[in-house]
Amino acid sequence: MAHFLTCLKNPMKNYQVLEHTADIGIRVKSLSLAGLFKNAGLALTELSAEKQKNQYPEKHKIVIMQKADNVEELFVNWLNELLSVSAAEALIFADIKINQINEQFVDAIAIGTDSRNYKTNVEIKAATYHQLKVQKTGFYWQAEVIFDV
Amino acid sequence: MPDNIPLEKIDDYRWRIPKSYKPGMRVPGLIYASEKLLESIYKDKALEQVANVAFLPGIVRHSLAMPDIHWGYGFPIGGVAATDIDEGGVISPGGVGFDINCGVRLVKTNLEYDEVKDKIEDLINRLFSDVPAGVGAEGNIKVGTKEEKQILLKGARWAVENGFGTEDDLECTEENGAIPGADPEMVSERAFKRGRAQSGTLGSGNHFLEVQVIDQLYDREACATLGLNLGQVMVMIHSGSRGFGYQICEDYARKMVEGLAKYKINVPDRQLACAPVNSSEGKAYLGAMRCAANYAWANRQCLMHLTRQAFEKVFGLSWQKLGMFLIYDVAHNIAKIERHNVDGVKKNLCVHRKGATRAFGPGDLAIPERYRKIGQPVIIPGDMGRNSYLLVGTQRAMQETFGSCCHGAGRLMSRTASAKSTSADILLKELRSKGIIVKASGRKTVVEEAPSAYKDVNAVVDVVANAGIGKRVCRMRPLGVVKG
Repeated sequence: MAHFLTCLKNPMKNYQVLEHTADIGIRVKSLSLAGLFKNAGLALTELSAEKQKNQYPEKHKIVIMQKADNVEELFVNWLNELLSVSAAEALIFADIKINQINEQFVDAIAIGTDSRNYKTNVEIKAATYHQLKVQKTGFYWQAEVIFDV
Repeated sequence: MPDNIPLEKIDDYRWRIPKSYKPGMRVPGLIYASEKLLESIYKDKALEQVANVAFLPGIVRHSLAMPDIHWGYGFPIGGVAATDIDEGGVISPGGVGFDINCGVRLVKTNLEYDEVKDKIEDLINRLFSDVPAGVGAEGNIKVGTKEEKQILLKGARWAVENGFGTEDDLECTEENGAIPGADPEMVSERAFKRGRAQSGTLGSGNHFLEVQVIDQLYDREACATLGLNLGQVMVMIHSGSRGFGYQICEDYARKMVEGLAKYKINVPDRQLACAPVNSSEGKAYLGAMRCAANYAWANRQCLMHLTRQAFEKVFGLSWQKLGMFLIYDVAHNIAKIERHNVDGVKKNLCVHRKGATRAFGPGDLAIPERYRKIGQPVIIPGDMGRNSYLLVGTQRAMQETFGSCCHGAGRLMSRTASAKSTSADILLKELRSKGIIVKASGRKTVVEEAPSAYKDVNAVVDVVANAGIGKRVCRMRPLGVVKG
């Protein structure tokens, strides 16, 4: 709860790092499913990249649409699509707009600039299904996911 | 120690997780470790993962764990599992991992320590500048769209045909640098796009290029066969299939999660999602995974070419005159179709090695003729502050582990804990005081990869040597390290 309140007060730190011997995990919370997906997506950027300049200021908007049988698989598919598009298009996403979301479908726009504006600290290869949890607890959504780094 | 995982001691280096530990385990778990290494193994969830792997349909004999085992995702890192293809055995992308054919190659030189010690800084600076490393690094070796598929089919041979090596290099590479059966049609356009521009790049994280010196010989006959002596300077290259492999794993892990119900497969962790090797999904994944494996072999061949060029610039001699010949190149994240003896019967198995190295014993036809008498070279990188090893495979490994051995030291500490335990400045100074020069693209990588974050590779190799699944040939210590 304390962490959740911290996140609400400090939107810049909207996730918590979970210990894992070889990889990195995160716990994310939000009042809405849309907020959960957005926070997790932005955590990817914060974990891996550090903005250093704005030499390539042009903003690119990429439509990200994913579906799955359940919310956990949707969550992993969403994060992996963000990682994949980011790597393939050499973009770092600094903002995300969720257009539509339910537990089987997400339609969003990821907004980013050229990855050359950033110094990348960690290469996140993928989000995994290992110990994956996405659930609504009381009045907020919480997710835990482990990344292969 | 958690008391919920019952471990039965078989001998000082072997421990069993009984099949009765979890309903659904098809075979017992078998862990190679000393009592001391078990203390760290118990601290994370690796043993639970060994038990989970035992659920895989068609798994034979044991779910195996090498002494460098640590917590992974789905499979433990350091896990080996073989499934019987003719009995519905499965293949699991999680049993290979995202970095398909992450592996390591060892190159010898005819330089001695005394000839290199005063040039090591120049050499490491040159390697750092000439070998692209780090996240998103783009390679200098550019490949046309039409050629991409050739890389996937020909692997390291593509590099050799383009002037980046010799036939001799191919002979000294597992599968001669190209596993047959690669099917580029099974690779998504996204994977092509993600891997583009990364040929000839080292990557980041635990990937490295290291200049080492041999500081201990164990097997003089094997050293003579390999042309190795005390004080000889060596080069080790650790890299994989980069974004290309990550995307293939992701594409197929997703398909197999969706397909678990189709084959009525019950696994306790979705990252173990799998499909029968002989199913359309299994065959498609194998075809795509082999493309990534071949891409990785081409990549390491290109990295060795760039390394040879860097040495030529620093020492003013051709790489041939510097004696920079490849000892061997091994994969340590891969699934292979191999024939093994299972309880007296030869069977076609799908052997998953997730953070484990093939270690075929003497006489096996898969080993280059020049090494057939001594067994397949097995390269075990350690951390950047201690040692690395060259071993050879044994007959005992053939009997017990489907010809498999450990792949490294194995992590002990999480990246965040490691980063908190020291600073890059302190660590680099400490290493320098030991005569080890480190150049890295990111300072964060340096602290995450601190020696204290890893088990002592000497203890890990003691276990495989004493258990008889690997035989020590020589030990190296680092002189200089290039990190991504």
